[in-house]
Amino acid sequence: MPTLGPGDGTLTVRTQRTGAAAKAGHDLVIEVTSWQATLELGDSPSVTLTADPRSLKVREATGGVKSLGDDDIANIEQTIDDEVLKGAPIEFRSISVAVDGERVSVRGELQLGARSRQISFDLLLVGGRLAGSAVVKQTDWGIKPYSALFGTLKVADEVRVSIDADTGGQADG
Amino acid sequence: MVELDHSFSTGKDEAYNWEAILDLDRIVPCVEGGRVVERTSPEAAKAEIKVRMGAMSLTFNGTVEVVERDDTAHRAVLRIKSKEKSGQGHANADVTFDLDDGGGKIHTAAQISGKAASMGEGVMVTVLDALITDFTQRLAGI
Repeated sequence: MPTLGPGDGTLTVRTQRTGAAAKAGHDLVIEVTSWQATLELGDSPSVTLTADPRSLKVREATGGVKSLGDDDIANIEQTIDDEVLKGAPIEFRSISVAVDGERVSVRGELQLGARSRQISFDLLLVGGRLAGSAVVKQTDWGIKPYSALFGTLKVADEVRVSIDADTGGQADG
Repeated sequence: MVELDHSFSTGKDEAYNWEAILDLDRIVPCVEGGRVVERTSPEAAKAEIKVRMGAMSLTFNGTVEVVERDDTAHRAVLRIKSKEKSGQGHANADVTFDLDDGGGKIHTAAQISGKAASMGEGVMVTVLDALITDFTQRLAGI
């Protein structure tokens, strides 16, 4: 089965800030630097993904009352490890995969930490390039969105997880 | 100048509360991120407050001092003067405690400049109000 990983593309998580003091915070683009996915589009199409919860690295930060320094970024990554994902497993397995031309509609079971529940999303496969995203509502998986400044600054409950990878023609089924 | 009013309840008698709010080693840590760096007199201290603003944090260094006290009416004013560490901002405040049995009232008159103020006055007031509300809840365990 064809396997994709960081050498083939990027897996990113985009977070947005909310709350009365949202201006004080930053919207983040966080890259998952250790992950592995499979995409099979043959007679029995399937999609799987596993990601290392301790491999998230902040790549972009916009907004805030000052730009982030290296220490700030290290603090965010530590907070993700200690307070948000806590090193718990991240695993997705498809239940159904429907291919319609370039569109691949996926429904499956996402395990985040101790909780597992279904999620659906669409991928586009164009010229061997696979791209798509899914919205993950943190509280649906029992994750309390990070908050600071006495609750006036929060990370929005919904984060967007995106993949953009070159399958090198492996997934043509 | 931002002025805010709050009340607090400790469930303890007025004499106990009076002693507690004048003890800077006990009262300063009731501000989240706050700590006494050095006591400079029985009624003054060098202190620091580190406010986490999500990804980053702002640290203010300065002094806190009891500048007025009425031992009969159990009314005291604590003056905070601080400067943003590695920045140009300031956070100064006069915090007036007016005690009654079981708790009391707090009036805060604050002047804040620099990065914290750049969020805009509305946001700053919201955050300051939340900080003081958190402070009043911590006072319950003083």
